[in-house]
Amino acid sequence: MLRTSLLATLALSLCQTTAQAQMSHHQHASEAACEEVELRCASKVTPAFASDGTLWLAWMAGGRISVASSKDQGRSFSAPVQVTQEKLNLDWGPDARPQIVVEKTGGIALAFSIFRDKAFNGQVLATRSIDGGRSFAEVQPITASNESQRFAALGLDADGSVFAAWIDKRNRVPAQQEGRKYEGAGLFFASSKDGGASYAEARLAADNTCECCRLGLAFAGPGRPVIVFRNLFEGGVRDHAVMTFTDPATPGEVRRVSNDDWQISACPHHGPSLSISPAGTYHVSWFTNGKARKGLFYARSEDEGRTFSDPLPLGRADRNPTRPYVLTGPRGATMVWKEFDGEKTSVNAMISHDEGKSWSKPVTIASTTDTSDHPLLVSDGQATYLSWMTKADGYRLLPIGDGS
Amino acid sequence: MTRRLLVALFLFASLATARGAETPSELKPFVRGSWQDVLRSHAGRPTLVHFWGVTCGPCKVELPLLGQFMKDHSEIDVVMISADLVPNLPGATRAMLEKAGLGSAENWLFSDGFVERLRFEIDPAWQGDIPRTLLIARDGTVTTIEGSAEIPDLEKWSAQQKAAMR
Repeated sequence: MLRTSLLATLALSLCQTTAQAQMSHHQHASEAACEEVELRCASKVTPAFASDGTLWLAWMAGGRISVASSKDQGRSFSAPVQVTQEKLNLDWGPDARPQIVVEKTGGIALAFSIFRDKAFNGQVLATRSIDGGRSFAEVQPITASNESQRFAALGLDADGSVFAAWIDKRNRVPAQQEGRKYEGAGLFFASSKDGGASYAEARLAADNTCECCRLGLAFAGPGRPVIVFRNLFEGGVRDHAVMTFTDPATPGEVRRVSNDDWQISACPHHGPSLSISPAGTYHVSWFTNGKARKGLFYARSEDEGRTFSDPLPLGRADRNPTRPYVLTGPRGATMVWKEFDGEKTSVNAMISHDEGKSWSKPVTIASTTDTSDHPLLVSDGQATYLSWMTKADGYRLLPIGDGS
Repeated sequence: MTRRLLVALFLFASLATARGAETPSELKPFVRGSWQDVLRSHAGRPTLVHFWGVTCGPCKVELPLLGQFMKDHSEIDVVMISADLVPNLPGATRAMLEKAGLGSAENWLFSDGFVERLRFEIDPAWQGDIPRTLLIARDGTVTTIEGSAEIPDLEKWSAQQKAAMR
């Protein structure tokens, strides 16, 4: 399966090179292939499988968030439904993307962020569908605060409630009023008991975290969300941390994933990924450019993040590996990331059957000759798939075999 | 005499305002190959290249400091490159540059959606974190500053450039 996908991809890439080169003069500035709202024009696409095996996608295109579903693993899609009628000033940050959660009852919860003003302050908006994605309720701010919020992550808890976490600048205001310097932003969270229609009051999980990276969210068990985030450690060091909640209302302690020593006063725009296996192993992958190590790394923890394995470097250092994503499924753990060789971007994958202790050799499973979304992994409860939006070749859902 | 001078001044001021409004600072599209153009056109001159973006918090703090640096150092070429990928950006980009006193710098805007390729041409190891400053000496030696640059470091570097010329 893997090899077939690879060959097909290569052939596709080769055929399109010439046309692409000619087109690039006209379609310069955009990350998207077109300006309309359909899937082929999307810059960011987020997948989720429903328990009945239906694939749902939420995407950003033409200034709108749209949703559609596929019963045949991405070969054909239902008529897309636009979540809002009006065009929005969507958050186009490299790590921003719509979030989608499909409940067992068929309800769909969405969250995404917009720029609320000319200073690019963000606002997280949420909505839900109770009619199988045919319509969505009017979008609502996830929290009443008027300060900047970005990078929401949504997760479905075992009891059907929706857990949300995001990056929030609200604590900057009182700090500045008291004349204190405020670094970064707060990691805030809230739960929804009504399928994402409304969220409880937002609460702080950790203050002074990095303000410009996506979050990794998974569950260690029912009612126990776990967040991996780029933290701001002492001295402005932007290394990663993990937090395991005692229950959806009680944040845990901040535990360091790795001591990379990346002291930087900048926006890395490059957040981590987290998955937790049924055995309870935390799998984390991330990017750093620290003094201790540079590049993409993976580490695992068997004690809820108290200790992590030595960071395992991913990808070829001379090919700019980026955007790591890890997902555990019934057939083991899968990891993907991007590499760039000066002309084309490829997605490399590797697999572990022993809870991340050892990994297969990386294999290129897809490539493209123009810009692309981050590679994501999604599972239907059996197989694990690469979900990847590309400007030149459209949306792809590729099953990832184990090459054996 | 005084009146004529005043009128002249007034005319000049009006013209300057009008010009400012009608021809806002130029934003050059940064595309494939632009990086080599930048290097070529500043070869042999000490050059500060700054990568920034309108959605980057630390950049907002640093930009006015760089504006002042440019004012104080006419001997250094200042090249500003907006590396953000937010659509419909030119207006916000110009506004921020002008507010920071950088409207007259050599200003570029990333204009190719295939941002990996643009970054790869500049520095294959750069993953897109901004702000980022490259200090290019007369002999082409590049010093990379990740994150916000400290102005004293820039002063020190520019003093070294002057010393090297003597």
